[in-house]
Amino acid sequence: MLESGKINSQQAIWLMITLVIATAGIYVPTIAVNAARQDAWLSIIIATLVALFIAVLIVSLTLRFPGKTLFEIPELILGKMTGKIIAFLFVLWFIHIEILVFSEFGNFMLSTVLPGTPMLVNHIVAAILIAYITRNGLEVISRFNGLLLPLFVLSVTLLVTLAFKEISLTRLLPVFDCGLADIMKGSAAPVARLGEIIVLAALIPYLNKPGQALRVAILATLVNGFIMIINVLYPLAIFGPDLTASFLYPIYTSVRIISVANFLERLEAIPVVIWITAGIIKVSILRYVTVLGAAQCLGLKDYRPLVLPVGAVVVAGSLLMYQDVAVTTTFTTEVWPFYALTFEAGIPLLLLVVALARGLGGKNKGF
Amino acid sequence: MFGYVILLVLAFLIMTLLEVPGLVKKKAWRELAAFSFFLLLGFALALPQVLGMEVPNPSNAIEALYKPFSGWLK
Repeated sequence: MLESGKINSQQAIWLMITLVIATAGIYVPTIAVNAARQDAWLSIIIATLVALFIAVLIVSLTLRFPGKTLFEIPELILGKMTGKIIAFLFVLWFIHIEILVFSEFGNFMLSTVLPGTPMLVNHIVAAILIAYITRNGLEVISRFNGLLLPLFVLSVTLLVTLAFKEISLTRLLPVFDCGLADIMKGSAAPVARLGEIIVLAALIPYLNKPGQALRVAILATLVNGFIMIINVLYPLAIFGPDLTASFLYPIYTSVRIISVANFLERLEAIPVVIWITAGIIKVSILRYVTVLGAAQCLGLKDYRPLVLPVGAVVVAGSLLMYQDVAVTTTFTTEVWPFYALTFEAGIPLLLLVVALARGLGGKNKGF
Repeated sequence: MFGYVILLVLAFLIMTLLEVPGLVKKKAWRELAAFSFFLLLGFALALPQVLGMEVPNPSNAIEALYKPFSGWLK
């Protein structure tokens, strides 16, 4: 086995929560509100229901092959050559998510808190930290996350409470104003984000009780969906749909306007710190899965030597592919949802259907 | 520009020095090959940017592939 550590179900749930919500507050609210206006929260509800299907799908696929990860299963189902190719496509796709997360955070820092610092400097600092965390293995990432996630939840709750006097729920009316097509359109980007739960398919063999994986996936998706609804409702109830759609970072802007008794003001550093830390953990999880996958699909004994070079690919790739905020937002809005869903739902569904048709894998655990 | 190239080479040299001696000592040749593959990929992505060259953006290929779907989300 490449990884000797084990994590428990609670740690797995927390990892999946940080993984999804780290970037859920950056572009997703704007994209959803642009499509569905004040009904964006309905889009998120639909997205959560679809993501629950994805969660059930990937868990039932992985549990048919006990002890095998997402990167070993295609080989067992489709044969050696095709399976290796699909596993390697997954590795490349995970690298692509990392690149996208790096660009999102780089652009966010550039347009809000560090306008004068070159993006490369932030990228390199983050890359070194991520490489250090990832080389220490899954257990360390989980404990680091267990230390920080309660703090995130506490400070987010605090920020929402402080903005209470600005919130007016009448800004959410009328409900169902823009029709089902637009609501569906607004749910595409959130589904792609919530579907990142597929990372769990690479971690199930390292759970101390793999049988609880379904519970982990469903609970994590429900919590993620709930947090995403708050992410959308919070700016919508403060600014209304038109202003929210015009902001790139509506949550950051909502926190900026908090003013309690002319004394408690300028709290926007808090979401920045939360997002950056959560983003570091998110990329650490993704990097861990990437190098684990690369090691499994190339038949290596150790994944750690790959951490640094993959980091170099991510930093260089993010500066090459998404130079500015316009390119990044266009890509996340128009291309990313279906591209991500190919890997999150399309390929796993195909694998499950072929596995069922060929009668491969255990019968008792799946569906 | 020449200075930037030196910095880039230095950065990749540091990564090589951190990993390669341990891999050679353990005779882990497969790991070394995988390490070199990703390192060269990273170098190939970084060098044209430092030299200021125009290179095809891999993201455009994905965009073209998903054109039929992305129109709906515009």
